[in-house]
Amino acid sequence: MSIQGNIPPKLAQKLLQWFLKDELLEEVTGDLEEKFELDQETYSLSKARRNYWFQVINYIRPFAIKRSKNSITMMKIGIISSFFKVGYRNLLRHKSFSLINVSGLALGLICFLFIFLWVREEMSVDSFHSKSENLYVIYRNQDADGSVQSSFSTPMRWNNGYHIVVDDMEEAIPEVKNKAYYATGYELPWGYPKTFRYGDKKFKLEGSRASEDFFKVFDYQVIAGDQETPLSDVSSMAISRKMAILFFNSPEEAIGQTLNYEDKYDFQVTAVFEDVTDRSSLQFQYLINWESQMKRLEWSSDQVLTTIELQDGADPQIVAAKLDNYLQSRLDENEDFEDHIGLYPFDQKYLHSTFVNGIPADGLISYMKIFSWVGVFILLVASINFMNLTTARSIKRAKEVAMRKVVGSNKLYLIGQFLCESILIAAVAMVLALGAVALLLPIFNSSLNKSISFPMLDYQFWTICVGLIVLVGFVAGSYPALYLSSLRPIQSLKGLIRISKSSIWFRKGLVVFQFSVSIVLLVVTIFITRQTDYLRSKNLGYDRENIISFRVEGTINSSYEVFKNRLLSMPGIAALDRGSEEPQAMGFEVSKPINWQGKDHEVGFKPSSVGYDYLDLMGLEVVEGRGFSKAHPSDSGAFMINEAAVKQMAIDNPVGKWISAWDKRGKIIGVLKDFHSSSLHEPIKPVILDVKEDLYFGVVIVKTKSGQTEEALASLENIYKEMNPNFPLDYKFMDAAYNNMYQTEMVMGKLSNISALLAIVISCLGLFGLAMFTAEQRTKEIGIRKVLGATVNQLIGLFSKDFLLLVMVAFLVALPLSWYLMKQWLESYAYHVDLSWWVFAVAGLASLLVAFGTISFQSVKVALSNPVKSLRAE
Amino acid sequence: MKETRLGEFEEVLLLLVGILNEEAYAFKIAEEFKNQSGRNVSIGSVHSTLDRLKDKGFLTSEMGEPTAERGGRRKRIYSITAIGKRALEQSRDFKVNLWNQYPELALNKLKILGIK
Repeated sequence: MSIQGNIPPKLAQKLLQWFLKDELLEEVTGDLEEKFELDQETYSLSKARRNYWFQVINYIRPFAIKRSKNSITMMKIGIISSFFKVGYRNLLRHKSFSLINVSGLALGLICFLFIFLWVREEMSVDSFHSKSENLYVIYRNQDADGSVQSSFSTPMRWNNGYHIVVDDMEEAIPEVKNKAYYATGYELPWGYPKTFRYGDKKFKLEGSRASEDFFKVFDYQVIAGDQETPLSDVSSMAISRKMAILFFNSPEEAIGQTLNYEDKYDFQVTAVFEDVTDRSSLQFQYLINWESQMKRLEWSSDQVLTTIELQDGADPQIVAAKLDNYLQSRLDENEDFEDHIGLYPFDQKYLHSTFVNGIPADGLISYMKIFSWVGVFILLVASINFMNLTTARSIKRAKEVAMRKVVGSNKLYLIGQFLCESILIAAVAMVLALGAVALLLPIFNSSLNKSISFPMLDYQFWTICVGLIVLVGFVAGSYPALYLSSLRPIQSLKGLIRISKSSIWFRKGLVVFQFSVSIVLLVVTIFITRQTDYLRSKNLGYDRENIISFRVEGTINSSYEVFKNRLLSMPGIAALDRGSEEPQAMGFEVSKPINWQGKDHEVGFKPSSVGYDYLDLMGLEVVEGRGFSKAHPSDSGAFMINEAAVKQMAIDNPVGKWISAWDKRGKIIGVLKDFHSSSLHEPIKPVILDVKEDLYFGVVIVKTKSGQTEEALASLENIYKEMNPNFPLDYKFMDAAYNNMYQTEMVMGKLSNISALLAIVISCLGLFGLAMFTAEQRTKEIGIRKVLGATVNQLIGLFSKDFLLLVMVAFLVALPLSWYLMKQWLESYAYHVDLSWWVFAVAGLASLLVAFGTISFQSVKVALSNPVKSLRAE
Repeated sequence: MKETRLGEFEEVLLLLVGILNEEAYAFKIAEEFKNQSGRNVSIGSVHSTLDRLKDKGFLTSEMGEPTAERGGRRKRIYSITAIGKRALEQSRDFKVNLWNQYPELALNKLKILGIK
């Protein structure tokens, strides 16, 4: 009956053995095992394991639990409830302390919960596919002369049209059960939203292309039409529910209808799928069949994402090796570069999008790790607050403890008492934090561009919340509990209690730790903010203010001259020209097709074609030779390159030498000053420009007169509607498009700002509490000092000195750590701000000032108080 | 003094013990309960109720012979005692009595007897 020797969860068995009466053990483990095997047969192993836990936990009943004299389980419920009652009264009695404790902890929890929700959301991307465990994507390493290019894509070769080299892999490799190709239709370098028309409805929408078995491999749910292979025909397409409603009012009515694509082809809707969720890394409004992708549609890139569904139990590494062998056997041996493929889990692709040494390794996952640590540290800082305050207050409670001991309480009960109190505080803080999270979630979502919902019905989330309460309660309560319960009753009752040196050091150590964390976070957030500002405001070598762009499509190319001249005469338009790409998004790179006079090595170029006025329009600077001009008829065959190209080609006096791109050959007439043609993560690459004013693709770039954007847009829309009626106008502002490239940085910036702020506030709350406590302790001392003639300033100095020293020590601890962290981070950008020393100084000074301000609340109050009052008692 | 009345769950379990006879041990009883009532119940809660019924004297139990299917572990087989049986009968009679007094049934009875 037993299946493959699967055994119930070990930990649950241990737990059962621990609490269950020995005489019941045999029958109960037997019963539960039978249940486990039955569940395994009827449902699944994981469900059986979960149910086993459920059953074990349900055995925690009075009749079944071991009786033993020393066990905590024996502690009477009455005692525990009295712990909570006393704890509750204590909370109420010391309102300000409780307030500081609870609010500090709540702030820490809020931060932790937000980070947790965010990390969990990102982690869950792509995990919703039911075959997730068997889905793998192909990644590819192209090695040309030692420079490796890695990407999630599939090798293709030209042979009367492009072919995917391992197209028939299912036949060659039996472990491959199914495969799905996917190619985006709207992403860089050449993708864009496509225009669809039905009757007089026309919309631009972002979609992709996918192969026949796409819907079999993935769980994108088909809600109407062909469930199995909707994309098998060359004229077929599947659209989302949203798109179906947009054009046809309902998913059902959409089936069988024909949509016109880009004024070129007609596609028939064969299926409608449910709108793609945010938890999918593949985003598309529609999918067009694969035959069209390979034979007639334009590509947005040459990258095809291949997802393979493996047979159950197949070893992905073995399959990957077989795949690579298969690929090699089908490639031409004389190729001058090597092409290798490997497999990577599909649901990990989103988090590990960056390749290190040819293997997907880095990416969003490193931000996840960093912020998980930040969350843990902030929670730790908040717990430390709590620990610190409770210990500091211990003297107040020393008498209570002593009384309890005299009356007969043992140490275990006292520890229980204090732990219950801290768990109570943690629970109150958690309730507050949950409320705040629920309230602030919409703001959080909108600033991070996410749609996380409050996990009301998610038992995992609630388990974690309860777990956190217990954990924080224990961590924060353990030191005070152990410390207070070990006080000697006679001394405390006599009022002789002295705080030991070690406990003072311990508390100081905690303050130092708190402030170190705060200062590190502060430094980090300043650098992230500075770097993000730098990215946004960096002089890229061209203008991006007042520039709008839109695609060349429909009749724009054929009537370009008329279109240009008419627009130039309209109000608000300053200049206009065209290019094959926008200058900030040149994603295409080639090396083979570019040759030049005296070429002796390959150089990767970004080729681009522009209009005659392009250089003036974008404000690109010519450092040598001249720019393109209609006055020189031969310029239609001429080229310009940038400084980086000159350097990498290693030639002197480039102007006048010949250069060729594919089969076009001409003279270099000028050298452009370097400009940033892609994200600032990358160094500037060589660029080669020529003039082409008759390309059917590309962008039109319009410069508006400053302050007249609205007039310009109105002019544009009028003319566009008249001259290109089959396409809706879809323009974008270049500065916004540029900023969009740094989405991740902006999110990180926001998260780190909030974290740093919270860490500082929490640390200060702790400091405030400690200062308050010290003030109380030293009332008499200060009274006497005052009577003897100390001035207010001296007293404030005396009072603040100790604390400020701690902050300074914290600064020294934080300095090397934050320096190292920031050096690492900034080096991931080819262009970044300096690691200036003053940032560290500012962070240190700021925390010192904030700490001083916090302490001053107390110190000023103490210094100004009337000594008569403080000395009168006794 | 021990409570000797039967709760609803207790009554059902007693009946199931009678029905399952030789196979009446906690896991089987829980499964049978699920099959018959459609309600899920944990083995622990069944076990705890059986234990209570034993305390009340309605059930006895003894360990069965070891079998191979559960790693050689023995089962605790429950069986109804005479008192248990009597308690069940009392409970049934009590309810039948009540049903007989229920207006519709009473009327029907009158009809059958030919009295209007």
